[in-house]
Parts: sequence; C-alpha cells; structure tokens
Amino acid sequence: MANFLAQFHTIKNSSDHLVIAVEDVSDLWPIVKSEFEGRLPFKRASLNNKTRNSVSVENLTAEFILTTDSRLRSRFPLEQSLFWFREPYATVVLVTCEDLDEFRTILKPRLKLIVQNDEREWFIVFVSKAPPNNDQATKLAKKVYAKLEVEFSSKKRERCCKLDIQSPEANFWEDLESKIMESIRNTLDRRVQFYEDEIRKLSEQRLMPVWNFCNFFILKESLAFMFEMAHLFEDALREYDELELCYLETVNMTGKLRDFGGVDRGDDQAALLNPGSKPLTQIVQDDSFREFEFRQYLFSCQSKLLFKLKRAFEVASRGYSFIISFSKALALRESILPFCMREVWVITACLALINATASQYNDGPPDIEKEFYRLQGDLYSLCRVKFMRLAYLVGFGAEIERSPVNSALLSMLPWPKPAVWPLVPPDASSEVLVKEKIILQETPRVKHLGIQRKPLPLEPSLLLREANRRRASLSAGNMVEMFEGRPIFNDGSGSDASTKMSPSQKVRASSMSRTNSSPGGFESSIDRPMRLAEIYVAAEHALQHTISNTDLWKSLSSLEEYEKKYLELTKGAADNYHHSWWKRHGVVLDGEIAAVCFKHGNFDLAAKSYEKVCALYAGEGWQDLLAEVLPSLAECQKILNDQAGYLSSCVRLLSLDKGLFLTKEREAFQSEVLRLAHSEMKDPVPLDVSSLITFSGNPGPPLELCDGDPGTLSVTIWSGFPDDITLDSLSLTLMATYNGDEGVKALRCPSAIVLKPGRNIITLPLPPQKPGSYVLGVLTGQIGHLRFRSHSFSKGGPADSDDFMIYEKPTRPILKVFKPRALVDLTAAISSALLINEPQWVGIIVRPIDYSLKGAILHIDTGPGLKIEESHVIEMQSYVDLSQIAADMAKSDAAQKEGSLAVDKNFEQLRLHAGRIEFPNWANNVTSILWIPIRAISDGLARGSSSVSPLRQSIVDGMRTIALKLEFGVSHNQIFERTLAVHFTDPFQVSTRIADKCNDGTLLLQVMLQSEVKATLTINDAWLDLQDGFVHTTKGDGRPTSGFFPLVISPHSRAAILFSICLEMLNAEDEAKALRPESILNIKYGISGDRTTGAHPPVAVESPGPEGARQDLIFRSSLVLQRPVLDPCLAVGFLPLPSGGLRVGQLVSMEWRIERLKDFEENEVSKHNNEVLYEVGANSDNWMLAGRKRGHVSLSTKQGSRIVISILCMPLVAGYVRPPQLGLPEVDETNISCNPAGPHLVCVLPPALSSSFCIPA
Amino acid sequence: MIVCVAVVGHQNNPLYIQSFTEADDALKLHHIVHCSLDVVDERVNNPKKSGPTLNETFLGLLYPTENYKVYGYLTNTKVKFILVTTDLDVRDADVRNFFRRFHAAYVDAVSNPFHVPGKKITSRTFAERVSTIVKSFGLSSAG
Repeated sequence: MANFLAQFHTIKNSSDHLVIAVEDVSDLWPIVKSEFEGRLPFKRASLNNKTRNSVSVENLTAEFILTTDSRLRSRFPLEQSLFWFREPYATVVLVTCEDLDEFRTILKPRLKLIVQNDEREWFIVFVSKAPPNNDQATKLAKKVYAKLEVEFSSKKRERCCKLDIQSPEANFWEDLESKIMESIRNTLDRRVQFYEDEIRKLSEQRLMPVWNFCNFFILKESLAFMFEMAHLFEDALREYDELELCYLETVNMTGKLRDFGGVDRGDDQAALLNPGSKPLTQIVQDDSFREFEFRQYLFSCQSKLLFKLKRAFEVASRGYSFIISFSKALALRESILPFCMREVWVITACLALINATASQYNDGPPDIEKEFYRLQGDLYSLCRVKFMRLAYLVGFGAEIERSPVNSALLSMLPWPKPAVWPLVPPDASSEVLVKEKIILQETPRVKHLGIQRKPLPLEPSLLLREANRRRASLSAGNMVEMFEGRPIFNDGSGSDASTKMSPSQKVRASSMSRTNSSPGGFESSIDRPMRLAEIYVAAEHALQHTISNTDLWKSLSSLEEYEKKYLELTKGAADNYHHSWWKRHGVVLDGEIAAVCFKHGNFDLAAKSYEKVCALYAGEGWQDLLAEVLPSLAECQKILNDQAGYLSSCVRLLSLDKGLFLTKEREAFQSEVLRLAHSEMKDPVPLDVSSLITFSGNPGPPLELCDGDPGTLSVTIWSGFPDDITLDSLSLTLMATYNGDEGVKALRCPSAIVLKPGRNIITLPLPPQKPGSYVLGVLTGQIGHLRFRSHSFSKGGPADSDDFMIYEKPTRPILKVFKPRALVDLTAAISSALLINEPQWVGIIVRPIDYSLKGAILHIDTGPGLKIEESHVIEMQSYVDLSQIAADMAKSDAAQKEGSLAVDKNFEQLRLHAGRIEFPNWANNVTSILWIPIRAISDGLARGSSSVSPLRQSIVDGMRTIALKLEFGVSHNQIFERTLAVHFTDPFQVSTRIADKCNDGTLLLQVMLQSEVKATLTINDAWLDLQDGFVHTTKGDGRPTSGFFPLVISPHSRAAILFSICLEMLNAEDEAKALRPESILNIKYGISGDRTTGAHPPVAVESPGPEGARQDLIFRSSLVLQRPVLDPCLAVGFLPLPSGGLRVGQLVSMEWRIERLKDFEENEVSKHNNEVLYEVGANSDNWMLAGRKRGHVSLSTKQGSRIVISILCMPLVAGYVRPPQLGLPEVDETNISCNPAGPHLVCVLPPALSSSFCIPA
Repeated sequence: MIVCVAVVGHQNNPLYIQSFTEADDALKLHHIVHCSLDVVDERVNNPKKSGPTLNETFLGLLYPTENYKVYGYLTNTKVKFILVTTDLDVRDADVRNFFRRFHAAYVDAVSNPFHVPGKKITSRTFAERVSTIVKSFGLSSAG
C-alpha cells in the first residue's frame, strides 16, 4: 500500500473539495447548470463530526461533476475504496418527462437501474419544462411527478423534488440544498465509519512486526483530509494529533534504526509551516518516514488547520513547544547532523513561526493576546540566543555584551557537539591571520567609572578547550566524553575573555591551549591544537556549509550585519514582551538594546533604556543587578552632559549596598559628585540624596518648648558617603503634624558642616515656632553648586540598603511647642487695704508655672496717686502659700507665729533701676514674693460724717493700680503683663453724732471711729480743732482725759470719743474772720500689723527700739458741725377739697396756705426775705394743672403773715392718686413744718355719665 | 543540581538569594530569579489560568527552557521561593518536598524576634540549613 503514497499525494494535492455527481438522464444539465452552480459554495451546511454530533459549517465548497466526466469514470475499484474520500458525496439525478407512458416504459426502468447502487446517496430532481399558462402540460407534469414520488420516495426519505424551469417554486433551492446536504451527511458518515474501522484494524496490529506506518498514515490522513474537505477542521486536526502521537510512539521503538534525515541541502531551513516542502515519497524510510522531515510535515499540517480555524495563538504556542522538543531531538543526533544544524534550524523555525503567526493573528481576548505576545517574545528570545551562539562561534564573541541576561542564556547553553570539530580548511590561512589580528586588537571591555568586575561568562566552558577536545576525541576515544559528563556549570567560570585580558598570553596561545586542552593529562598527539582564531575560521566555514539561507548567512558574514540582525531580534523580543505580562523580560532586553546604542554613540536612546532598566531593578530592590547597569547609565549621562542625571546616578551608586563596590570605587563616585558640585555647573542642580543621607531626631522624648520660645534642636544625620564630606550649608524643615499645609519652616545650620561617614550629630538653632508638635521634614543643603535634599528618615540607624520603600514619614514628633498658656502669675500678696499716705509694703507674689524665670526682668509702673519709695530697697523672698501649709502648722502656734512667711530660705534685697528689677537666680523656679515700698498719695483730707446721714465712702477712692510687666524666657521673648489693684484707706472712718443736748447749751459730740484696716490701731492721743461757732466747754484744747489713752482698737472694730462742746457766741469780728468752716479731728495713733495681711507700720519707720519709742502717726479728719436748727419758720397747710369729691374731668381748685411762724430776718440764708418761691408738682398722667406751677409769691417777713396759693387742677384718672404737691425749693426742709402738706392720696371718681360728653366738639 | 535558591518578598524584593555554582556568575542567577517573577506575577494575576493550582502554594515549573528549569513556590504571605536547577528531569514530588522543607526553614528564620520582616535574611543558621536542604535534594528519591 505504501506504493500508493505518490498517488495519494497527487490526489490530495489535486482535490480539495467535495464532489457531487450529476446523472443527467434527460440532457437537462446544460439548462440548469448555471443555476445549480450558482448555489455554490453552500452558505451553511449541517454535517456530523466524528462523534456524530451535528456541526454547522460555513461556505462549504463543492463541485458538480457529470457522471460521464472522465474524472469519475476511469477508476479501479481498489483505488476507489482507498481514496474514497474523493468519490462523489451525492448523486443528483436530473430527469424530465411529459408523458405517463414514457415514464412507465422508459424512464422508470432506467432510473431503477441507476439508483440500485446502494453505495450512492442519490435523489431525483424532476425538471418541469411546462409553461405556467399551459394548464394541460402543467397538469401532466404534476401527474408524472406524482408517479415519480410514489415510485422513488419512501416514508422514511423524500428523494424527489421538482423544478419548474418557467416558474421555479420559492423553496425549491432550499429543498435542493437540504437534499444535497442530507446526502453528503450520509455519505460522510458512512465513509468516516469505513475509515475508522480500517484504522482501528491497523491500530490493533501496531505492535506487530509487519505493521507498516505508511499504510496507517495514508488511512489516517485520508480521513483527516476528508474532514478538511468537509470543513470539519477540528476533526481533521484531531486526526493529525493522533497521527503525531502514534508516530512518536512508533518511531522511537527499539530495534528499528532509521535515518533521522536532515542531512540534505536546505534542511537547515525549518519547514515546519510548509507541508509541501518535500514530497512524502522522498522521506519514506522502510515502512515509515524520516523523523526530521515527517515531524515537520505533521506540524505544518496541524498549523495549516489551526490557521484555518483562526487560531494563530495556538500555532505559536504549539510551535514553541515543538521547536523546543524538536531541538532536543536534534541535539540527540548532533553528531550526525551538519555542524550547528540545531542552532540554525531553531533560528529559521522561530523566524518562520513568528512571521506566520504575527501576520495571521487577529485580535483575541486580552489575556490571550498577552499570552500570544509572550510567546512571540519567547520565540524571538530563543532565536536570539541561538543566533548569538553562532555569532560567538564565528568570532563575534567580543561584541556580545557580557550582561546577566546574555550570560544566563549563553553560559547555560552547551556548545554544539559535532562528532568532530570542524577543521580549518587548508586555504584559509589568510582568514586566520585576519581573525588573529582582530583578536589582538580587541581591547577588553572596561567598565565605566573605573569599576573592576570580573566579566560574566558567555561560554558554558572554554571554547578553546572544547573544540580541541572534540578533535582529541578522535584519538583519545571516549575518555573525553566522560569529562563532558561533568556539569557544564563548573566549567563556566573560565571564559575566553579572561585570556583576552593579557595580550601577551595570547601570543603564546598555542602553548596555553595545550595546557587547557589536556586537563586529564591527555596530550593531543595527533594534531596541533587549534588556536582560537583557527576555531573561528573553521566554524565559519562549517557554518557556511550548513546554512543554506542566504539572509542568515549574510547576518553572520560581517559585524555590521550581525549587529543589525541582533538588534532586530532583541527588539522583537523586547517589544513583544512589553505587550505581554512579562514586563521584566522586556525591560531587561531594552538594556541589551541600550548597550548596542551606547556602542554606536546613540547615547540618548541608550540612556533612556538604561533608565528603564535601572528603574525596574531599583523599584524592586535588586541591587546586585542594579549595580551592573547603573554605571552604564551614569556613563551615558556623563557623555550627554546630563549633570543632574549623572549626579543622581552617582548618588544611587553610592547608596547601593556597600558590599557591591570596593571602597576605592565608592570613593571615586564621591569624588565625581564633589568634582561636579564644585565645577563648571552653570545652574545649581537639585539632587535627591534620600538614599544616602538620612536623618532622625535624637532618641528620647521630643524637645518641649513653650509658645514663642526659641531653642536648639539636635539631629542625628547618617552619611552614606565613604569619605568625609563638607556641606556648605544645611537646613532642615519641620512639619507640623496636625497641619501639613502651613508653611514649613526651615532650620538653617549656621555654618558649613563636615559629615563623617556614618553617624553625625548636629545642632540647629530653632526660632520660635507656632504651637503644635513637629516632625522632621526635609533635609536640604548645598555642596558647591549642588543643591541636595533628602526625605529619608532613618530609624536611628543607617539607611537600610534593602529598604527601598524608605520614604515613610517619621511618626515620632521631635518638637512640641505648647499652646500659649500662663507661664507665670503675678498676684498681690494682700487683699485688705493699706494705709493711705504712708509708705507701705506692697507684696507681689511671683509664681512661675512650670517655667523658668531665669533672667526675668520686672517693669513696675505705678499709676497716678502712687509712688515707689525709691530710697528703700525692694525685698524679695521665697514664698510659701500659707493656706497650704496651715494645716501642718496648726499644731504649733509658735511655728505659725514666726513662720508667717514660712521658711525664709531665700531673701534678697534688690534695687530698682529705671523702673526695672532683675530677678535673682534662686527665683527661677520657686514662687517668690516681692515687697515694694509704695506710698499712695491722696491730697484730700479724710471726711467725717454725721451719723444722721452717714456718708458712704466710695471704695474707688482708695484704689490704686500698679502696672507690672515681666519679661522672661530664654531671650526675654515671653512677656507677662498685669495690672494689680491695691486698696488704700485711712485708718479710721469717722462719724459724729450729738449724743446729748444739755440745758446749758453744752453739746456732747460723740466721735465714732471705725477701724478700716486689718491691723491693731493704738490711739495715743486725740483732739478736736473746732470750727468757728463752736468751742470746747472746758476751755482747753478739747482733749479727752489722757487716762483714756492709749486706746487700742482691734481690726474692724469701733470706738468712740466724746467731746463736750458748746455754741460760741458770735460777734461781728468773728463773723468777718470766718476762717474755719469745719472742724478737724486729730488722732495720734500707732499701728501694728503684718504686711502680709494688710496695713502695717509704714516702711520708713524703722523699728530699732521698743514699741513705745515708735513715732506715732497722725490721722486728721475734718468734721462739719452744723448749728442746730431750733424752729421751723414756715408752715404749709393743704386746704380741704370740696365736699363733692373729685371726679375725672372736673376742674377743682387746690389751695395751700403758707404761714410765717417767726420772723425771718435771723436767717442768713434767705436773700429775698419778702418773697417765697413755690413749685407745684404733679404726675402729668394723673393731673392736668392750669395756672403757674412755679413762681414767687410775696410773703411779709413778719411773723404770722400768711398767703394762700391756689391752682386749678383736673384729675385725669379715676382711683386713688397722689394729689399735686406744693414745694418751697428755696427753703430748707427743716424750716418747714407739716411738710409735705396735704394727704398722700385722694379719691378720684370716674366721670359722671353725662350726655354732654356725647356732644361732638 | 540546584544552582540557585532565592526568597523573594511580597514586593518582589530579594530577601535571600544563594547560588551554588563555583563560578563567579551569581549575577546571571539573579537575573534568572528576577525574570522568573514575571511568571509568578502572571500566574498570580491570572487565577483563571492557574486553574486547579489556585490554592496551592507550589507553582510548579515556571520556565520551560532548554537548559535549566525554574520552579516557584508562593506562600500565603506572598513570599516567593524560587529554585533554579540544571537537572532537566526533576520529579515534581522532589521539588515539592524541597520547597516544603525550605518553607519550614524560612518560617523559622523569620520567626526570629531580631529579624525585621521585609528585610534581607542574614541568619547564618538559615543559610546553613538551606545548603543542607539543597545538598539533600533528590536524595530521597534516589535512595
């Protein structure tokens, strides 16, 4: 059957659609052909898949072929069964007949003959040519068709349909299509069944020796092909999948050694998407196929179907796994394949797959799309690795960046393992020389910024050794293969690059390679070991032999072409990865692109890409990797003159883990920073050094300040610089925790600072801050032209290098400024009155409230009427609140007595300078009391009062104020002002009364003395200087008997002294003198009181001697004595009202009579003796008065003269109201008897109901 | 042979990375571990795709490359363990077992009161224990 392979192949290639046979019985086909073919391809069809489930397919292509066509006729039965898939799937029998007899005799037997073949699915199309207006013909056609239906249709299946050519029925074509479909479906089912049965039969024999894979393949692929023709691609794909599985299962069966394939010219180009690249007959190997070609063929068939199913993503994903697994298969046969066949195949396969899938791919759901791009990226990446490997072999190794990604990819990829390493062709000595020269000219790639780092390996092992060993294996046999069994990673340490470091070694490459190539003591005895250049040349020649693709070869032929291809692949991989989930892969490859850009001087692009890579590594804290890329970025920035970027890169380099760079290198970074900072920079460059300089407050509680106070703040700064660094300036902002918006204030460091590496403590002056608590904000400073800032807060240690999310705000406040509060209190020490006009101690209690009064200054400003006795010192002593310790003291009277000021721990005498007092140091924190000698000045003489009309003395009279201003705080910034009120008073309040009036005219004047102070007063003497008109009865000075004195008056108690006086007979001269209008009471007294409680002996009185020797004080008070009024001189009487009573609205005449009771001439007060001023007053709401309310009436000065004053009134309100009153304003009330005259209230009746009121006015 | 094991924090920051190659090429292993985070991220962010392994800590093979294999493990605190091996036929059970022991060692290391969570693991005991686990990798199946 395998012989049919070629035939099968041609059949398959020639037919790709279903065939529908047309049995044209009545020569109708030419008439209906166009209309029939117009139905193709079938828009929609319903077919059964392999599992007999209905599947809807679209645009099913088919072809109508007449049974007489040669394509359907000349076939052998065997062919028919084997290639059954190409046989017609339905047979349409076209008939027409217009006569019943003809039908019965001719047509029916003929049709019976045609349809007797059970294999076929057939149905009859009866074509009626009858014109619609010809009823006869139409009827006849109907009849014939009815007969036909009876004859050929069964209940189970309708096999007939009728086409009216003249007027086709609307549903005919649908009917036709459904009949065709039914037929196709049935045929397909039957054929599927047939193939399945055959396949099953063959599968059962699979393990038998006679089994032939080719036969199985033909059957299986026939089935698959049939499905494909029927547009059942899913089923077709499944067949191919099964075929692949079966192949892989059988191909590796032991005992059958077959050729692998892949040795033909052009095999290096992957054919995994091109099923027709090689005819199957060429790859037959015994009873099966060559693996190399056949697996690619299967994959290409699968991918074709997948593309038809619009599943380009699946092609990519299957393709990637296919390439990987196929590459493994190639690796197993590397020794029989051309040199580097595997690598070349993978490259071409990847590129083919990328191109095909990328062009076929349509938008998919986002996650599939990402996955698709990832696969594309993987394919590119795989391709890139293999390409780099080839490039290395031909000697471009020095151009390959020794980056982590390349190292990871290449150093873990084993060298190709040809049976024998290619030899240098005999005529290539000139090429060897060229290569040699290139190798010699190569300068080792130096890391930027003078960083010394061992380059990463790109080789799994030393190529020199590997290549020579491969050659040695010719002679040494399998022993070397044992060495190869070692893990390749251990060999990865050695690299060819290391040999490039020293050109001198390279000159003697041959001797070195000998030592390298004989690790186990094998001497390569047969051949001289190859030198590196020779290896390159040999590989190049071998590759030229292997690679059939000119493009690929071109890419390896020169450095420029290599780089072009390399960039294309790298960019492809990076771009696709960027579109996928695998961002890191993409960014890392960007770094590789950057390296190429850098090499070509495209620093701008390089810097951009490097920045991305650095951001990736820095963002996740991969410092080791960052340390690899950052110097390159820095170099780019340096070349681009991007000072800010370069500085920031240097700072980042410095802030990396200390172990990543040598101290020398770190110092170099720092000197770079300093060099730039102090050099030609035009503008100051801002720089974030958060990772390098961190700061924190000192441990312990925060500094506490009162509102308005300055202070100094101590801050710890950690420097990550490897050396001392001088900061030209430094400032630190404080941020209020409650409100960040308020302008943050910067604290400036007054001078330049040298930061040592590690911990530094600096102190900053702190100006007064607003109340609140503050945390450290930002550290800013300047080095040369460089303005740096750091946001980074360290928790009391050096910045953790792996703490890449360091920008957390410190939570602990460093400074607390309290809200304004009372820091000190000034109060008067006494509350009771002091003596006026005497120098008195005024006590001021100064009580600091948790605040030091160091250096405080008190300004004292006395108000009017107050004077500080500057001649006296001011006393200051510590003060203990008595009320608090009273309880303790209560037990011992003595203690209480002497300890009124409690413990006199501190006492100091101070002087007043220009109204200021400076506080002594001991008073910083203790409550102290300040005694200030002050005299309240009052010009007025104290006034006594009569007991009849006691005079209340206003408290304001004795009030004096002292304005105090206390300046304190660290820089006298705190000011406390208070005005104290101090009450001064006379010692006594004097009131007088006439105690008795004797018959002889002697008056006993009682002078009552009320003590006004909280002190004991002792009256030593008292005398009265009488005013004119009064004299002492005793003709003396009016002193009471001296035996009464001293009279002691307790605080707030009363005493009285009696003076006997009499009226003096006045004569004319005396009247003329009239000097003293008032009497003066003089009291000589002493006072004993405590200054802490109130009035006390005056300051000036120093008391050296006993109490008796003390100088007495004099208190003077004026008294006004009035001559007694003997009789009233006027009498006023109210004349009775009319008897009828008062009524509202009724006029009434009110009358008063004034009578002079005695002669008026004596009275000195009256000026108009014969006239009296009167005044009538009344409530205007109640009364209406008519007539003069005020006026003079003449009244004779003679005793007994009288006059009546009458006035017309009208009451306005009913009820009891006060009547109008008569007053005599010029006459003292005491001179008027019966005053007020008249009743208190009078009754006013309501108005009489009178019609007169109704008369309109 | 295991060439590298790594602990990666939940912010994808390296907490511990140890290579077991003699050559001075740890950086390429850093790269492999770092890039494998792409796969971990992808799996974590697309729970649909991970399917049945949704609630499993063991992420399985991350990288189907030709020459080495990368396995991943994700703890419930989103700390990742990465294993790079050059053995191309590794049994899943061995890797699971390895990760289980590695996880235990990690938990012990971070339970140290002096360890700051989220910081690099510097414990020498942990390193010793890890190297013991690495050395014994695959032995249980072999013998």
